[in-house]
Amino acid sequence: MAAKQAIQVGTKNVRPVLSIDRGEAKARVLNLYKAWYRQIPYVVKEYDMPKSEDQCRAKLKELFLKNKDVTDVRVIDMLVIKGQMELKETVNMWKQKGHIMAYFKPTEEPKPKDFLSKFFSSNE
Amino acid sequence: MQRVATKTDEAAPQVETRPTVAKVDPLQKSQLVEFGKYVAECLPKYVQKVQLTAGNELEILIPSEGVIPILQFLKDHHNAQFASLADIAGMDVPSRPNRFEIIYNLLSLRYNARIRVKTYTDELTPVDSACDVFKAANWYEREIWDMYGVFFANHPDLRRILTDYGFEGHPFRKDFPLSGYVEVRYDDEQKRVVVEPLELAQEFRRFELSAPWEQFPNFRGNPAAEEVTDATDVKKDQ
Repeated sequence: MAAKQAIQVGTKNVRPVLSIDRGEAKARVLNLYKAWYRQIPYVVKEYDMPKSEDQCRAKLKELFLKNKDVTDVRVIDMLVIKGQMELKETVNMWKQKGHIMAYFKPTEEPKPKDFLSKFFSSNE
Repeated sequence: MQRVATKTDEAAPQVETRPTVAKVDPLQKSQLVEFGKYVAECLPKYVQKVQLTAGNELEILIPSEGVIPILQFLKDHHNAQFASLADIAGMDVPSRPNRFEIIYNLLSLRYNARIRVKTYTDELTPVDSACDVFKAANWYEREIWDMYGVFFANHPDLRRILTDYGFEGHPFRKDFPLSGYVEVRYDDEQKRVVVEPLELAQEFRRFELSAPWEQFPNFRGNPAAEEVTDATDVKKDQ
């Protein structure tokens, strides 16, 4: 499974995690995205989530796009591996509703951005 | 005046009279040194260094490519028969280029001997899984994956084992904060447990991490390891 030959990262020759080049890493990311996308209807139904499928798809896209600037092949592979594990935990119902809903963070209040709201929030 | 035992003192022939200090058996020690040299001769490609710590604990230091051949050798060789994997441990030293150390503790029931195999890796370099050699490695490697984030290539079932589902980060890394990144509480409106980023008041953020007493005064300063062989020395001799 894991490739034996070394790959070039920056100036170093290193052992790859899974993928040899960017193209292979990209294919893995897209496969993972599709796998999640196809599971969303079942996840929404089986976990009895108070979210629609569209909202879940938007969240999925947001979570993937959070790492869009990662360029290192090995870092991409590590993220894919972790995403794969999360998917398995979700689909096998090892998680509970709270774990799934943690992606949406409904109770977190957004941090104050502008001067006045920062001032008000610090004066509690 | 209290006398502090150093490793150099122990190397010289000296009779240990203190009842609380483990006596070093010179016969056993010479056998360990012989065996360490033998392993280094048998697998010169992988053995980087063989050392003896705490008087009678043999350690073999290898690069991460050599995990499978070394463990297979130690398990199956007639003069070793380290058939039992007692433990796999991890260690994080952020200042090193390869920050993680993976430590395999083996036990030979046939010869009543223990050996320690140490290898190193960083956050992104995979280590070969020892599951094919020792079935017991499965859960230990999952533990190390979970706690340190070291990826084991060709592991049959690598997933979290100690942390909660959805937990992010690897808690045994030295850069993981003592208080973690998130806190968990029951929310009455949501009617479920929610995860929120941790916010600590300023006065709770100061941690005094250094202990007020010294844990191992005997090991102050000099490293407690005696070298048996060193790959660089061997190359010079040849």
